[in-house]
Order: sequence, then structure tokens, then C-alpha cells
Amino acid sequence: MKRLWSYFQRFLRHKRELVPGFLCIPLAQLGDVMVTIVIGNTLDRLRAGSDTEFLRGVFLTILGWAVFKGVFRYLQRWWIVAVSRYVENELKQELFDQLTRLSFRFHARSRSGDVVSRLTSDVENIRMFLGPGVMYSLGAFVMVPASMAILFTLNAPLAATMALPLVLMGLGMKAFTPRLHKWSEAVQESIADLSSRAQENFSGIRVVKGYGREDQQIARFEAAALRNRENQVQLGHARGLTHALTHAANDSTFVVILIVGGLALIDRTLAVGDLFKFIDLTFKVFWPIIALGWIAGMYPRAAASAKRIDDLLAERSEIVERPDPVRLADVRGALRLVDAAFTYDGAARPAFQGVTVDVPAGTVLGVVGPTGSGKSTLLLCLGRLFDAQGSLELDGVPMRDLSLDDLRGALGYVPQDSFLFSATWRENVGFGVDAPLDDDRLAELARVACMTNEVATFPKGYDQLIGERGVTLSGGQRQRTCIARALARDPRVLILDDALSAVDTETEAQLLENLRHAGRGRTVIVAAHRLSSVIRAERILVLGADGRVEAQGTHAELAARPGWYRDTWRRQQKSQELSVLG
Amino acid sequence: MSTKAKKKESDDLDDDLVASKAWDSSILRRLATYARPHARHFVLSFAVLIVLFGLDLCGPWIWRHALDGPVLAARAAREADAAADVGAYTSEFWRWVALYLGVLALSVFFRYLEVAQLNKTGQVVIADLRSRLFAHMQRLDLSFFDKRPTGGLVTRVTSDVENLNEMFTSGLITLLFDFVKVAGVLGFLFWLNWRLALVVLAGTPFLIGVSLVFRGGARRAHRAVRARLSRMNGYLQEVLQGMRVVQMFRREEQVSKRFGAHLAGYLEANLRTIFLFALFFPVIDFVVSAIQGSTLWTGGVHISGGALSYGEFVQFWFYVAMLVSPIRELGERYNVLQSAFASAERIFDILDTQSRVVERDGPDAELRAPLALAPDELAARDLVAGHVRFEHVSFSYDAGVEVLTDVSFEIRPGETVAVVGATGSGKTTLVNLLLRFYDPSAGRITIDGVELGRYPLSRLRRHFGLVLQEDFLFAGTVRENLVMDRPEVDDESLAEALETSRAADVIARLPGGLEAKVAERGATFSTGERQLFAMARALAGDPRIVILDEATASIDSNTEARIEAATRVLLQGRSALVIAHRLSTVRRADRILVLHKGKLRESGTHDELLAANGIYARLYALQFAEAEPAA
Repeated sequence: MKRLWSYFQRFLRHKRELVPGFLCIPLAQLGDVMVTIVIGNTLDRLRAGSDTEFLRGVFLTILGWAVFKGVFRYLQRWWIVAVSRYVENELKQELFDQLTRLSFRFHARSRSGDVVSRLTSDVENIRMFLGPGVMYSLGAFVMVPASMAILFTLNAPLAATMALPLVLMGLGMKAFTPRLHKWSEAVQESIADLSSRAQENFSGIRVVKGYGREDQQIARFEAAALRNRENQVQLGHARGLTHALTHAANDSTFVVILIVGGLALIDRTLAVGDLFKFIDLTFKVFWPIIALGWIAGMYPRAAASAKRIDDLLAERSEIVERPDPVRLADVRGALRLVDAAFTYDGAARPAFQGVTVDVPAGTVLGVVGPTGSGKSTLLLCLGRLFDAQGSLELDGVPMRDLSLDDLRGALGYVPQDSFLFSATWRENVGFGVDAPLDDDRLAELARVACMTNEVATFPKGYDQLIGERGVTLSGGQRQRTCIARALARDPRVLILDDALSAVDTETEAQLLENLRHAGRGRTVIVAAHRLSSVIRAERILVLGADGRVEAQGTHAELAARPGWYRDTWRRQQKSQELSVLG
Repeated sequence: MSTKAKKKESDDLDDDLVASKAWDSSILRRLATYARPHARHFVLSFAVLIVLFGLDLCGPWIWRHALDGPVLAARAAREADAAADVGAYTSEFWRWVALYLGVLALSVFFRYLEVAQLNKTGQVVIADLRSRLFAHMQRLDLSFFDKRPTGGLVTRVTSDVENLNEMFTSGLITLLFDFVKVAGVLGFLFWLNWRLALVVLAGTPFLIGVSLVFRGGARRAHRAVRARLSRMNGYLQEVLQGMRVVQMFRREEQVSKRFGAHLAGYLEANLRTIFLFALFFPVIDFVVSAIQGSTLWTGGVHISGGALSYGEFVQFWFYVAMLVSPIRELGERYNVLQSAFASAERIFDILDTQSRVVERDGPDAELRAPLALAPDELAARDLVAGHVRFEHVSFSYDAGVEVLTDVSFEIRPGETVAVVGATGSGKTTLVNLLLRFYDPSAGRITIDGVELGRYPLSRLRRHFGLVLQEDFLFAGTVRENLVMDRPEVDDESLAEALETSRAADVIARLPGGLEAKVAERGATFSTGERQLFAMARALAGDPRIVILDEATASIDSNTEARIEAATRVLLQGRSALVIAHRLSTVRRADRILVLHKGKLRESGTHDELLAANGIYARLYALQFAEAEPAA
């Protein structure tokens, strides 16, 4: 409960809505109770005989109270429920900002599905628990004592016995909840299983069909569907039990009223109209209490969600600026690394280590090596997405001392996965700059990135939507768009992470030429699998499979020396792709 | 045709689309055919509901008789004489109480059955439907899968089917029964006191009207909420995926503002639903109070006039409460039906899609070609020669641009034919046609002299060994991935395949060897390793015809060497169509086909093509001349 208290406090912060909302609760309940009392009193009067005049008055009084109740119930819901949405939004924004702040070390080790579920279902679980929880519990706090007080003044023993079924229900719920939990988890799992089986089958349909494995796939899917059905049926049994229990408690309250009330009527200790009040108030009291019971049943899940959200909010980025960071007025783009190394959390060995390299401003550094040699990680360290060990300097200033704005502001980064947003081409290219890009600038960027011809084929030109809802770009087009995006920032240091792999060799040569040309005086760091990307670099860093520096030098030097570089160069020469005919 | 197209478009724009019609009896009729085999469950559900309804009606009836009978009589006796003996009345009262308890016990049991049985009914039907849907999808041709995003297809077999469950349980059965209930309760009210019943009847249309009007608004509002939510979550996912770009570009603040704008839109949509709900409940309550007030007005006259007993009034009151709740829920049921109709439409859409690739005029039973025989009829796999001929084959995916134009070539048994050409030249289409993922729009393809369409599909594909560029591994173990449930692959042939493809020592390095777990999509393996496994998988089946799409992605040199060796073994002695990316493969091929914009421009051996001095020679000069001395 302590954990959820802090979330409860988030609700309480919205006093402007909550205070009037709370004030409405007793008023709405007053209207509710008054309707019952008026009817009950009328029944008593009727036995003594009455006239139409009186009855019309009663009718109007009831309508009056009903309107009164309706207005306040509306206001109550409007104010209080809205607060739960405000809180939901604040929480989501806070979590989102936290995610953008957290260092890459966090993102590298967490699965995105898991993170998304914290922002969606976990926040939802808390809202579902606290939102109605706040409303119903406050409603119950007012309604239950008020009704009970009335009932007690009417007939104390009857009012007291009515609580009995509720206690029984509470105990029963406690007994049934674990069962409910167990099966609802089993159902969730079997649905997830079905969905991943289908996902996999549809993605791999060429293999399935190519090997004629449809029947086997159908049989497996059917088995999974049956497992799901079995779990669902079991969950149905568990739900049935709780459902029956709730109704048993409700119904037995009426039995209690019949017994105790009937006996009291015989003894003439209860007025006839009062028995009616018991019945009607039970209809009204009972449901807020049942709702509380349901909400209490949601507690374990909400608490688990609260913990997961707390954990996320408690994460701290280890990448922080110094209190008085060094500002660089004019970045030249000289990089110096001395004995740099980085180890991922939980990894057995460093991703890369012992990297010492000097990149004078305006030169090109190639980074090559087999898969897993730490090339990408090294590039990320240059932007301080990770803090590497050893000394890393930009223009002679240690990166840790620089303001992050200046450090990252000097970089243009092209990621390996050529990530683009589902937005227009213009928005994508302009992602890294504050002012929107005009057409002239875009034309220039498209030219340098060798995209002019492709952009010309877009139905909507620069404003063409890209991604699932728009035009699907080929791998090479994506990579070149990413390059244009990086160049739009006119960076002093351009970082290309295997960013030309899907570009055919001819375009690659043209692109490299353009970059060299456009980037006169610009420092370029190129990581690549294909060595043709780096042959003209002033310096090439060869990382080994273990993340250590295997060699360093120019292409001519490295190609002459036995080792990974020469082997790979020869092999790649031999197995050049044949895909650019025409 | 045009409405179909429109529907497709809205499907793309709004994943939460509503049914095209509010009430569609043809959908209901069709759903009924899927429910019919499980009629037993439906009958049982209805029986449970009927009994429960009867028990529910009993309670108020007992109240009336207990009150009007012993209780009020005893009270009257006491009023006349405070010391009167009411023992007889009390014991009668206790009998009513006992009856009430009995009814209660029974109804508790039936309430349990209500939930359990209704749920089971829905689950039994949808488990069936789900398997059928999936089986149908498995039989569809590749164009079906190529045109649709995987996520959407998954939704069909998961949440859409799930929605139908709602339809059968809280939708159809309960809705039907709610009508029974409303009619039944109204009938009872009339039987009890027709004047009061008329008052209630007059108020009922207001209740129904409010409920339906409100739901119309709520449905639109809900849809807006879901659309905004999915857009917001989409953006969130995108940002997470591109976090390194966001951080490298220092765009945290801008991205956060953008997310804030999504949140604001989401909130706005939510507030609209809150407003509607906040309004709905009080309005319904007010109508109910008005009905109750009028009942009291009318009833009061009769109570004071003696025409209505107190017990009858109480019974009436209970019944009115029973009448209100199904009507209050009416709108909700209607919404469930709506979304179920939408799901049903989407599901039926798929069930109505027919595969265009079918055995012509059914499987050709007369066909005695070895390739057409069942595994137990075929004495030796070697009897399948694997002689492939493309004769004037043209193809276009959607009645549009031709991807292949008049392509003819031949792969004689045991020959390797390599295809080269730029992206989009039609290489993959050749593979798709040979595997009969699609049928050519003109011309014909034969294997061993028989047209592809005459072979039973599964037997045809059994003789192919398929290695895709980005080959797919399924979640499970390495062994499962290599065996793929094929009866012809046993431990021995698997071990041999692993040995010859040199994948054995890669597997030996895995924790658990062949039993090592493969993650979703084989994510833990590199492209090279995946291709190596795909080669071993193909080899294990000892195929007569090999289709190999060489990987273009860079592969580390260790794996590269293995792949090269495996390729050699795989192509040895089998007919093979290779989409080639490696010079070594091209040089070893018996024939090279040069595709350009869907046309076969050159064909011949490496040396012949060089001598012809055409496209191939130009390419070769451009890219490989430098490498030649080293080769």
C-alpha cells in the first residue's frame, strides 16, 4: 500500500477538481437517500389513506430529488474521473522524458516491449485501481456510514446483521483470488503463445510453403488454440465462482432483511415503510461496497505495476554534464582517444579495448573488423551515449568536461539500422535542426546524399510520408536519407555506422566522393563491413573479434601486411556482388 | 470492386474500423454455421439462463407472499390485540424463509454455471474458428501474404477472433436473453397489476432511447480514444527504437514536446468519453426515478384504495429493478456486437479469399511421373530427374507492369544455373514461379516434362531444397529448425547433412548442441550462420532441385568459408537455380542467365558471355577485372 500511496498523492495534487468533486459526493448521495426516504414515508402514510393531491406532491418531490442527485452525480464523475486521466498523462509524460534522458546503457539492456508496457499497461493498471478506487472509496465512505446510520435508527439489530454477508464475501474473495490470478495469467500466456506462433508463421511463410510444411504448422497452431481454450475454460470456472459469490452475498442480504425485517414487522418494532427503506437502501449501499471489493481484487496487479514504474523512474543516467561544462565556441573536429575501452553491463569481456587513435580535424578514419568487434559501440562512445574508459578528447578537451550540447551538436550520426520516423521526408531530414528546411537546402542535401532521382519519384516530393503509412524506402534509400539527415546539421564530425552497406558499389563510390567534397575540412568516421568504404581513409583502425586493436594504418599498408585486413580484402575482391548490372 | 477498395483503404488508415453495416444478418447467419456444431453448448447456456431467470422471479414472489400473508396478518392480529398468539403465522413465515433460502442456494449455483457455461460456449466455438482460419490462411498463396502487413494478419487470428467470443457470449446469447427477460418481466408486471405495468411500459422507450443515443456518441468517442492511443503508442515505440538517433542529435526536448502533443490529443478524446459517461448514468437514473415516482403515484392511489397490497407493491418494485438493468446494458451489448461485426467482416474477408495457385482440376491422379508420387510409392528419390524448363514465361504481380517477359531457359538434371541482374530485374520472381508461389501469367514451366500445375503442391515442394537470402529460423530448438517435421529426415541424414555442410562444428559450439534454443526469428544467429543452417536444412532432405538465394550481407570470413563449402556440396549432382552474388558461384555455374528489366538478355557460361562482350562482360570488366589475378 505504501508504494501506491505516492501515486495516490499525485491524484490529491489536483485540488481544483478534486475538492468540488468530493463535495458533490455527499450531495449526490443525499439526493439518492432522500428519494428512498420519501417513498418509504409515503408508503407509511398510504396505509392511513391518502389523496391524489398528496401523491402528486410526492411525485414532484421525487423528481426534484432525482434532478438534484443527477446534477451532483454528473459533476462528481466529471471532476473526479477527469483527474485520473490527468494523472495518467502526467505519469506518461514523466516516464517518456525519463526514457529520453536515460543513457544508452539502459536502452541497450532493456527490451523495448517491456519498456512500452510500463508506459501503457502498467500506467493503466494504476489508473484503473486508483481512479475508480478514489471515487468509489470516497463514495462508499460517505454512502455506507450515512445509510447505515439511517438503517440503525430504523432498526439496529437488522442493520447489524446486514453486514454479515459482506464479511463472508470478503473472506470468499480472498480464497478465490489466487485461483483467478493463476488462470488469468495462464490465459495471457497462451494468447501470447498463439500470437507469436502466428507472427512467426506469417513472417516465415516462404520457408513454410517452400518445404510444404503447412499441415504441420496447422497442427501445431491447433494444439496451441486448444491449450488456450482449456485455460479460458478454467478461467471461466474461476470467474463463475467469484461471480456466484458476489451474488450470494447480495442475495443473502435480502434474506437477512426478510427474516429480521419480517419478525420486526410482526413485533411492530418496524414501520412498514421502513422495511421498504431497508430494501431500497440495500440496492444502493451494496453496489459501492461490491465495487470496493473488486477494486481490492485489483490491488496486487496495481502494486506490481507501481513497482515496475518506480523502478523505471528510479533509474539514473550515468551520463551527466559537469556543473560547469566547458563550452566550445568553434569546434574544429579533432578527436583523440587514448586507451579507450568499454564493457557492457553483464558482458564477459569489453566490447572494445585499448583503442588509441589520433584523428586530426578534417581527416577520415575507417573502423573495420569482424561482427562483434565493437565498431558500433566505439562510435556511440564518441557521442557519449556511453561513457568509455580511458581518455577521449574533442579538440583537446576531455569529452566528459564538454557540454553535451556542444559535443553532440558537433556530430552528425548515421545509425547502422538506418532508423527513420514515420513522417515526411522533409521532417526526417530536418529532424536534427531547429528551423524547418527550405526546398533549396533539401535539394542540396538530396544531391549530396545521391537521393535526387529517388525524391523526384515521390508522389508528394519532399513532403512524401515515409514508412508504413507512406512510401516504403529500400534499405539503400533509407541509408541515404539518414546521411542527408546527418548532413543537414552541417556537423564538424560525421559518423557513419556501416551506413553504406545497402548502397550499391557504384553509388557508394559517388557518395563517398560527395561526402569528401561537401565535407572539406570535416572529420569523418566510417565503420564498415565492406572495405571499399574505407580504402581512401587517411587512417584505418582494425578491431579484432575480441575487441582489441589488431592493426592500424592506411589501406596500402594494411593490404600489404598479412592479417584479417588483407584476407578480407582479397576475399571481398573475389566475391564482389553482381547486383548492379544495367 | 470499388467498395472493396475503399474498405481496404480504411483498413489501412484505421485499424479499429467499425462494421460497414450496423446490423448484418448475413454475418449472423454465417456465424451461426460455425456455431451449429456446438449447438449443444448453446442450448445448455440458454437452459441455464432460463432457470436463473425463473429463480430470479421467484424471490420477489416469495417476498410478496411472506409479507401479505403471515407478516401483515400477524401484525394486524397484534394490532388488534397486543398479546395475540401469532405462532401459526410465524411458522408459516419461516416456511417462506426456508423456500427463499432454497431458491437462493439454487441461484448461486446457477450463477456459477451462467458464467462458466457461457464462457465455455464462446471458447469452444472460437477455438474451432481460429484453427479453421489459420488453416485456411496456410493454404493461401504468397500474394496474400506479400500484400498484407504481418501484424494485421496476426490480429485476425488473435483479437478479431477474441472479439467474436464476446459476440457469442456477452453479445448474442445475452442480448437475446435480455429481450426474453424484458418481455418476461413486463409480462409479469402486467399479470401483477396492469395499471402499474402500463406506467412502466410508458417509461421503457425513454430508457431504451437514452441508452441507444448515448451509445452512438460513446462509440465514436471510444474510437477516437483508441485511434489517438495507437498513434501515441506508435510514436513511443518509434522513439524507443531510434533512441540513439534522438540522443545523438540532442532532440530529447523536441521529442518530448511531440509526445506531449500526442498526449494532449489523447486526453481530449478521453475527456469526451468521460463527459458522455458522466451524463449517461445520471440521465438513466433520472428516468428510472421518474418511472418509480409515477409507479408510486399510480400505485399509491390503489394501495390507499385497497386495490394493491403492500406485498404486491414490494414485488413490483423488485421487478422494476430487474427490468432496468438489461435496458441499461443494452447500449453496451450493441457496441460489443458492432465491434464483433467488424471483426467478423475482416475474418470472413480472409475466409473468402481463395488461393489462385491451385492444383488444376484437382490433383492429377493419373499422373505417374515420379515427382507426383506419394513418398511410399516412390522407390527412390533419384527417380525424380529434376529437369526444369521455362517456356516463354511472362509474369506480372498485379495486372500491371510485367516483371518477367517471355523468359525461356532450361535446367537439365544436375545442372547449376546462376541468375544475375540488378535489384528488380526479376530474379526473385523466377524463384517464386519455380516454387509455384505464383503461377505465370503466360507461358509454362515444366519439371520432368510435366507442367507444374499438374503436380500436387505438397509433393512438388518436397523435392525442392530452399535457401533464402535472409533465411528464417523459427523459435524452438536448432534440431526442430533443421528437421522441420519432415518424415524423410532422420538422425542419420541430419548428421550427414551437418557434416557435409560443415555446420556440425558451429552447432557443437552452441550450448546444448542441436537442442540449443533458437530465439524469435533466430535473432541470436548472424546472417551467415542462418544461411549455413538453411543449407544444412536443405541438404538433410536430399532434394532433387535446389533453389539458392545467396546472402549479400557481409559475412565474417570464418562462416564465409563454410558457406562456400556447403554451397559446393549442395549444388553437387542436383539441378539448381541460384541467384548469385559471388563470383566463385557464377564461375562454377553451368550456365549464367543475365536478367535485365524482366527480360532474359544473355545466357551462357562465364567464358562464353565474356567472349560475347555484352552486359555481363561490361559488368565483369567494371568490378572483377582487378580481382582476377588473385582468383
